[in-house]
Amino acid sequence: MKINLKVNGILEEVEIEASTVLLDVLRDKLHLTGAKEGCREGECGACTVLIDGQPVDSCLYSAAAAANTEIETVEGISANGLSAIQKAMVEEGGIQCGFCTPGIVMTLTALLRQNADPTPKDVAAALNGNICRCTGYSRIVSATLKAAKNAMAQKAGDAHA
Amino acid sequence: MPEVIGRSVPRADGPGKVTGQTLYTADIEHKGMLHAAILRSPTPAGKIVRLNADKARQMPGVKAIVTAADAPDVRAGWALFDTPMFARDEVLFEGEPIAAVAATTLAQSRAAVAAIELEIQEIPPVGDIDMALAEGARLIHPKLAQYGSVPGIVFNREGNVACKYAHEEPGVDDAFARADRIIEDTYDFGRQYQGYLEPKGTVVQYRDGRYTVQSGHQYVFNLRDRLAQFLQIKPSDVRVQGMAIGGGFGGKLDFGPEPYAAVLAKATGKPVKLIFSREEDLIAATVREGARVRIRSALDKDGNIIGREFFTDHDNGAYSGELILMAGLALMFCRGVYRTGPIRTQFRLIYTNTSPTGAYRGVSGVPMISAIECHMDHIARELGVDPRAYRLAHTLNNNEKLPNGQMLHDAAILREAYAEIEKIAPWEEMKRTKKPLEGVAIGSTVWLTNPLPASATVKLNEDGSAHVLSGTCDIGTGAMAQGVVGIVAETLGLDPANVHIVQPDTDVAAYDGGSQGSRTTRAVGRAAEHAAMDVRQKILDAAAPLMQTEAARLTLSGGKIHDIEDPGKAIGLTDILMMGAFASGPIVGTGKHAEQPIPFDPGCAVGLAFPTLPTPTYHVHMAKVAVCPMTGNVEVKRYIVAQEVGKALNPQGISGQIQGGVAQGIGYALHEGLRVRDGRYMERSLEAYRLPLAVDIPEVEAIILEHPADEGPFGAKGTAEPPIVLAPAVIHNAIYDAIGVPLNSIPLTPERILEALERRKSA
Ligand code: FES
Ligand code: FES
Repeated sequence: MKINLKVNGILEEVEIEASTVLLDVLRDKLHLTGAKEGCREGECGACTVLIDGQPVDSCLYSAAAAANTEIETVEGISANGLSAIQKAMVEEGGIQCGFCTPGIVMTLTALLRQNADPTPKDVAAALNGNICRCTGYSRIVSATLKAAKNAMAQKAGDAHA
Repeated sequence: MPEVIGRSVPRADGPGKVTGQTLYTADIEHKGMLHAAILRSPTPAGKIVRLNADKARQMPGVKAIVTAADAPDVRAGWALFDTPMFARDEVLFEGEPIAAVAATTLAQSRAAVAAIELEIQEIPPVGDIDMALAEGARLIHPKLAQYGSVPGIVFNREGNVACKYAHEEPGVDDAFARADRIIEDTYDFGRQYQGYLEPKGTVVQYRDGRYTVQSGHQYVFNLRDRLAQFLQIKPSDVRVQGMAIGGGFGGKLDFGPEPYAAVLAKATGKPVKLIFSREEDLIAATVREGARVRIRSALDKDGNIIGREFFTDHDNGAYSGELILMAGLALMFCRGVYRTGPIRTQFRLIYTNTSPTGAYRGVSGVPMISAIECHMDHIARELGVDPRAYRLAHTLNNNEKLPNGQMLHDAAILREAYAEIEKIAPWEEMKRTKKPLEGVAIGSTVWLTNPLPASATVKLNEDGSAHVLSGTCDIGTGAMAQGVVGIVAETLGLDPANVHIVQPDTDVAAYDGGSQGSRTTRAVGRAAEHAAMDVRQKILDAAAPLMQTEAARLTLSGGKIHDIEDPGKAIGLTDILMMGAFASGPIVGTGKHAEQPIPFDPGCAVGLAFPTLPTPTYHVHMAKVAVCPMTGNVEVKRYIVAQEVGKALNPQGISGQIQGGVAQGIGYALHEGLRVRDGRYMERSLEAYRLPLAVDIPEVEAIILEHPADEGPFGAKGTAEPPIVLAPAVIHNAIYDAIGVPLNSIPLTPERILEALERRKSA
């Protein structure tokens, strides 16, 4: 069947089967390979994208169900250069092999939109669906706190200006 | 004053990774590319009585199906050549490849795999090392004696033992005869899955009589050589191009999907992509081996260890990989870093009908060192003395010897490490402030840096930037993206942003030992430093005529060439490249590194692949845990590492390695284990094999100790492998301290802890 998906603000028409998952549409049909397949069982979070602002495992998410939603991928949030969380991940060393990174960036993007000033516990809880085998998570947590701080400082600066 | 070295410069590949632009193997697409899948043995042992792919071949989209009949009838291997590409007449482990399919889509190739008719006459598996060693056990490799092996290394093999190594210092029996007491322990270690987030995968093309292999791989030259063995061709007929790699931890050092994709690529004439599913990756991964270590120490009345027996048995699985080279570790680690009397050592690597095991961060040393450290706590407890004080009283000093006769010149660094931890977490206070069911522990060890040779080429570009070419990838540690970038930037006075790492390629780079055993910073770093110094000299030589002076008077810094005797006189690097390149030719430098042999006692280490411990580094870890009596769960409340690194090239990168390595060690200590029943894994998914999450891991406190090493680039040694090594034992001992009854196995799952708490009640 043919469906319309709105990905990073752009409407795409794709041919799918009823069982097709969103991850396969993104990677194979739309060539958006930022979302990774780490398990295809909903455990690792490497495939995380946002649907209407909420992080989902796109490896389990039915592509058909994603019609009429706003889908955001790591490519979308990188379109205007590095976002605050991406910058902080680079600076704080929250990245090693990088395979978990796009998924984690999406999860944390959603977190920071909902909670501008998270605690380390909030960050760890938000990452419950994302596995990072390399870093031990500490630098991902500190990157998130740093991104939040920078965003708040920027806002305060903007308000003064 | 170094400008880059010692600073936490962010990794060069960070922006690509954080935006999802970095290309991993699964992201590759080629025109006409086919998708492959493997038929694997559903059973751990049996005879193949029927294999018929005729029907499967007729299915839509199927382009080729290959089996043992389509591959050379050879056995290959890292060191002992015991491994066939496809099972031929018999299967030796569950998951052993039997056939491979290439089709237009992955769904088609999987459907065809399911349609291949396979009948196996099952035989009872030799499911564990006890069964393999039992009197009259069925031989897994009846032709073991006939297998080829690499020259120069002795593998004493017999029965189901792939490799046995034994050594005895004089006086062991005498020590036990006069001992005041004897303390004995047996420790059991489970299998640990590397759990890299990127499952193994490859894309292979066959053109012009050569194979081009694209894989995220730790050791491209090893993969090239293994493919050449399996395919019976020259190594130079294989080109391996390393892709960005989504973690490896030792699991991507040998072959994975590559030989199967290669045979299919040749059969179809099309590029073939083969990516393992997670379950397949887990079942076929060369995981950390299960092991059993039996250790007996003879003590005199003052508590000195006057003699020891150290017997360590390791589960090889059905075929041999890298572990067969690890026999020497038993000799190096049987004392730990403590004074002991003479030791009787035995290492055995034992075949079972299970998935082949292999290297995982801390390869084979993890069970050995864990056993030593757990045993040390047991001894202290039996003697009624403090385990930290007991360790310090017996810790080696400078210029004491390991049992292989190798001198540890700088072992006193261990005392410095204890002292540094004491500053932020005083031991007596840690003990005093414990609540019920909380425990603390501390342990120490030495670790090595892999000594394989390295090469690097530095190419200066016309815009004044540089490319670094080597056979090693950045596996995620930052050893290339931070370490080597920093070394080259520093040597050439470049901004690190202008130093670019080229992915490894066996057609382009000279031989290199790959990303393993913490060798990249030290060995590739050293080679890159030499290459950069070569470039530097060539720049000065090219500048001299332009500046109408001699090269000896010139120096290079900040992108400019200065005349030392006339500081006002300088020209820019790019000017040289523009003006000088015609006269001097393009500027390229090469470098290499090979470790110097370490003096040791050859009498005890004949035929060992690793007779010595190259480039020792020193480590002390401390942990505080709390045990929940209801659930058996353990919370790691605090974890501190003091690690000696030579020179810290990039402190942030190093602390990231320490945090990540400890997290894997905590996972292994508490819940990561592949249990084997009748030759099959019980955990077969990431849901069942639980990897640590953010909520499980405390913020690991990392203390970095610097003692610059002569040979290392800017004094650096390897850092990424060892943080995992002590964590399992230190967590084990902290739990032992919390509950006071012996545990003696890893992982300490909640069930095992609850069972120990029951024992405590009844005791
Ligand atoms: S690939 Fe979707 S959760 Fe792992
Ligand atoms: S950086 Fe490798 S899995 Fe997170």
